[in-house]
Amino acid sequence: MERFVIIGAGAAGISAAQVLREFRPKDTITVISIDEHVHSRCMLHKFLGHERTIQEINFVDGDFFEKKDIFHIACQTVTKIDTEGKTVFYGENYSIPYDKLLIATGSGFFIPPIPHFREAPNVFGFRDLSDALKIDDAFAKGKRVFIVGSGLVGLDAASALCRRGAEITIAEMAPRVMPLQTDDYAASVYQKVFEDQGCRFLLGIGATDAVVDGEGNITEVILSTGEHVACDFIIMAAGVRPRIQIALDSGIKAERAIEVDDHLRTSAPDVYAAGDCTGLSGVWPDAMAQGKAAAENMAGIDTPYEKPYPFKNTSNFFGVTMLSVGRMDLTEGADVIVHKTPTEYKKAIITNGKLTGYLSLGDISNHGLYLHLIKNGIDISDKKDKIFRLTFADFYGINEKNGEFVYTV
Amino acid sequence: MKRIFIDPAKCDGCKNCTLACMASHQDMTPRKGTLAEIRQAMYALDLTDPAAQSRNRIISDGRGGYSPIFCRHCDIPDCAGACMSGALEKNMETGLVEYNGDKCAACYMCVMNCRYGVPAVTPDRKRMVKCDFCQHLEEGPACVRACPKKAIEVREV
Repeated sequence: MERFVIIGAGAAGISAAQVLREFRPKDTITVISIDEHVHSRCMLHKFLGHERTIQEINFVDGDFFEKKDIFHIACQTVTKIDTEGKTVFYGENYSIPYDKLLIATGSGFFIPPIPHFREAPNVFGFRDLSDALKIDDAFAKGKRVFIVGSGLVGLDAASALCRRGAEITIAEMAPRVMPLQTDDYAASVYQKVFEDQGCRFLLGIGATDAVVDGEGNITEVILSTGEHVACDFIIMAAGVRPRIQIALDSGIKAERAIEVDDHLRTSAPDVYAAGDCTGLSGVWPDAMAQGKAAAENMAGIDTPYEKPYPFKNTSNFFGVTMLSVGRMDLTEGADVIVHKTPTEYKKAIITNGKLTGYLSLGDISNHGLYLHLIKNGIDISDKKDKIFRLTFADFYGINEKNGEFVYTV
Repeated sequence: MKRIFIDPAKCDGCKNCTLACMASHQDMTPRKGTLAEIRQAMYALDLTDPAAQSRNRIISDGRGGYSPIFCRHCDIPDCAGACMSGALEKNMETGLVEYNGDKCAACYMCVMNCRYGVPAVTPDRKRMVKCDFCQHLEEGPACVRACPKKAIEVREV
């Protein structure tokens, strides 16, 4: 009988718990989380927009823990791990012993060192349900929202609060919205969609200072242009950082992220890490895959974990869908092919016969193969002329034994 | 578990499977029926309905060969592994990758993650579309029954 403990109930933690239970039907599995409710970070905007309840942004069944016979210690913060005595300390001096431990603490929002921003009680992140609840409260008192950052998190928050009639200003340091995923044209499409909903963008502009009231709340943001923008509260969406404090406090090797080997083991014996806290990737599918791989290794099934390909995302704001894979920013020495119609915009970046970037705005049906081609560096030099019409038929193969598909290249 | 096995050599690109799939998901196909009845249902198909989306695709190579692309309900499904809402799940008993549209948040991570390009988006961008093995039909997938060449057939894996 082994005792498995998982810190964190996000994508990696929950997927690990699920997989551990599959391989170890009788062992003890415990999940400790700060959160009261399991929830999908990627659906927080649905909650904030009042489209869904807390229960409806759960990505597993409501009775997940009971059904799988997993202990869930909710609303508790882990303070320290004794890696020699193999014990996790949490809350007010509670402790739980483990044989194998998984750290899946995710990442937290980051506040740049702008005067007053780190101390002001009306500056919020948008990462966890607790953040969304705080924003919800603040919104009840004032509807002028200042969002720092126009990446997916910032636009998620904006789209949710737009629906509820907020007056939104979004400041973005880069010259266009969603700078990591878009090019200038795709960004302009999204910018217009948000502007039509009443959002105001300040591009190439940063927040440099603030005016605060007697309680330290920011009442005006001062921009790099000198302009003052009045607001009731601020949402920080200018990037995230892996949550590594527990590792640092416990002597587990970590710098910007928790260091893991090719089996997701940390520097401490029988302690594994998965998800955003490893800094390997910041997208949901990779966190799920890491949780699964770590769990298999913890259960004694040798599962090497290949480094994920992190440059990939999809977005869907107000029905405008986009898929962006690869490096849209690296175009030197590359062929850049563009296809544009009134309803579609596609761009392919081909470097040395290989696809290195692909962006599609509009109907993104059946586009999954482009990620596969990019991350595996598959040669497409003879298929350039139909780069926007590629399908799996161009790489068709069948595994005769089980009937699954295989790539033929 | 069951899977639709494909023999591309037998496919002659008639796309009966495609029409049968569309009809089945417009509720045109009788729950039980003879092959003739299944085929008859295709004539009632409303092609102007944007929701008439086929879950399968037959791609011509331009030289008389065809590549049928049908959801494999993979042993390790990348679509379900990417799903952040819990809408896509592998049913370990039936082996099917099942989709619950009520849970779906239309983030389209599944579209991005399926290396075979099976998942599609709906015209309203609120749902995804993939093969559901015609679980609403008692006699199994409409596409298989509509194929005159037996290029696709349900087999136990």
